[in-house]
Amino acid sequence: MSAISMEKLSKVYSSGVSALAGLDLEVRDGEFVVLVGPSGCGKTTTLRMVAGLESITSGTVRFGDLVVNDVSPRQRDVAMVFQNYALYPHLTVAENIGFALINKKVPKPDRERRVRSAAAALGLIDLLGRKPGQLSGGQRQRVAMGRAIVREPSVFLMDEPLSNLDAKLRVRMRSEVLRVHKAIGAATLYVTHDQVEAMTMGDRVAVLHDGELQQYATPRELYDRPANLFVAEFIGSPEMNLYEATVTDDELLLGSQRLSLGPARTLLAPYRGRTVIAGIRPEHLELVGGAGAGQAGMATLVADVRVVEELGDEAHVFFAIDATAAGASMLVAAAGDAEAGMLAGATHNGVAQINSRSAVRRGQQVTFRVDTGRMHFFDPDTSVAVPQMPG
Amino acid sequence: MSGASISAETRRERRRRERLAERDAAIPVELYGLKRGTVTALTTCCVLFALFTLAPVAWVIINSTKTQSNIFGSFGFWFASPFEFFHTFANLFRDIDGDGTYANWFLNTVLYSLSGGIGATVLAVLGGYGFARFEFRGSKVFFAIIIAGLLVPITLVAVPLYLAYAKVHLINSVWGMILPSMVVPVGLYLMRTYVELSIPRELIDAARIDGASELRIFLRIALPLMVPGLMTVLLLSVAGTWNNYILPLIIFSNNQLFPVTVGMGLWSQHAGNSGDANLYPLLVLGGLVTIVPMIALFALLQRYWRGGLLLGSVAN
Repeated sequence: MSAISMEKLSKVYSSGVSALAGLDLEVRDGEFVVLVGPSGCGKTTTLRMVAGLESITSGTVRFGDLVVNDVSPRQRDVAMVFQNYALYPHLTVAENIGFALINKKVPKPDRERRVRSAAAALGLIDLLGRKPGQLSGGQRQRVAMGRAIVREPSVFLMDEPLSNLDAKLRVRMRSEVLRVHKAIGAATLYVTHDQVEAMTMGDRVAVLHDGELQQYATPRELYDRPANLFVAEFIGSPEMNLYEATVTDDELLLGSQRLSLGPARTLLAPYRGRTVIAGIRPEHLELVGGAGAGQAGMATLVADVRVVEELGDEAHVFFAIDATAAGASMLVAAAGDAEAGMLAGATHNGVAQINSRSAVRRGQQVTFRVDTGRMHFFDPDTSVAVPQMPG
Repeated sequence: MSGASISAETRRERRRRERLAERDAAIPVELYGLKRGTVTALTTCCVLFALFTLAPVAWVIINSTKTQSNIFGSFGFWFASPFEFFHTFANLFRDIDGDGTYANWFLNTVLYSLSGGIGATVLAVLGGYGFARFEFRGSKVFFAIIIAGLLVPITLVAVPLYLAYAKVHLINSVWGMILPSMVVPVGLYLMRTYVELSIPRELIDAARIDGASELRIFLRIALPLMVPGLMTVLLLSVAGTWNNYILPLIIFSNNQLFPVTVGMGLWSQHAGNSGDANLYPLLVLGGLVTIVPMIALFALLQRYWRGGLLLGSVAN
């Protein structure tokens, strides 16, 4: 039996705006499930409906076998960590953590013991007498976690709890959240817009877009086998390179360049003579040299380098080829390089992830070897992925 | 060192730190894009306006120490002999002219203001919180109707008000003054706005998730955070009732129930008609005594208007 199950869950506002359309999702006992998607995709609305803070238009939410649609939040045995912490500013850390236990009429000695235990687990013992205004962002976030875990809930809900922390603290707190989750063992529904958080934290990840579930799978499955164009673009950083391509008998035409399909020709047989959308992950482009460096029989692309971003252990090479970009990654200025966007012809339509030791400069023409066996293909009309070959 | 003096030392230190912080935060006028000459001219205008506003208060303070002949015969903004303050003060508590005593009127004013003001604050707090943090059908319409009440001046409804009060036996009754004083639309508007701006929805949601009942959320979470706004509404309600003239004029014919405003209005009439030498000094000193509690109340409650109460509750 699932700890949380949502069946055809929908939310339509009075104005007619549909925030969520028929979501089917289940979270097993002890599982850490991440809801991820861009702003406005319905992930927070989903969380709030599970918490009982938002009314449900249609569909059901169950905890175990109990339908909780009409159960008030205080009776649902859920704990929630809010994006903005929502700490009670006039109460001390100890009082914030213990507030729920007072409401449950837990006897004082027991209450104090549980508060101290939760505080100790999160390194808050020395801060119990302080008020939220005297704490740093990370400390407040831990108090918010402590307030949730002290209740020993059966369901844990988290609404982008790390989004207000700086980058370094966010990375540290990710492992803290997972450690707490493992210690508690409660089913957890975690909302984030950050796909890196989703991929690193979730046992399973549900990708939402415009109120609809795009794919619900493990992080590895989402990365290796995206179900559609949206998931392919959303998951992965840098994002996948997507191009309109024409399929011939055994080649793929990207602009003026031809890629030998190899084994991929079989799965693209239904698209012969037609256009597909071809996706190549940046790490599946291998730099082999300057223009013309490719060998016979090798699937290669010749590209003009627009910008090179050095990241220490690797480099991102933003390039342009004469193929038509597909999806949202149209001709855009290089991220983090505002100057490039101002120069005429500085736009790129692809990015490769290479070893930083490779000497590549802006303005160079280079050759990439393409791992066609790792390419992704999508139907241009439905955006659905063409089924990949197994393995 | 005793506990009280330790805390006094801490308060002094805190105030000193705040003064220094204010001085550090001050930005030179040039950085606002202003010339010194402009600032001097504007400051002069402000000082003149302040003097213009405070001049009547200064006049009242100075002339409350004079006899009637000196009130009219001496320079208004300086003292004159004899110093009659205490003699006049003693007369405030005598039944001059058979119109009743100032002390009685003063106590009535305190009763009406505190009862009406506290009642108005309770209603404004409850109503403002309800409108701000509960979604219910018709809330916008209800709120608009309440605010529309602000548009109707009491003088416009004086006659129907009298007739309605007479029907329900509120004429010459203290409840005729207290009950309407508890209805302050501007107070409810202020509290609703204050709650919307100062109490994030997430706090209420968090308390609901923590298992608190709506009453407990209001008393334990929302109300402590509403204190600055609550004090403002209390102050405005008390001051509004304290200074109210039209309503008690309509409903009271019994001198014993008059508040200070109507009582002194009566003295003023008699003084003008009969030229009674006893009344003008009483009017001046009575006016001074009337405004002193309001000034004290504003000064006492100003610390509740300091910000920072919500610091740290919600991430910016």
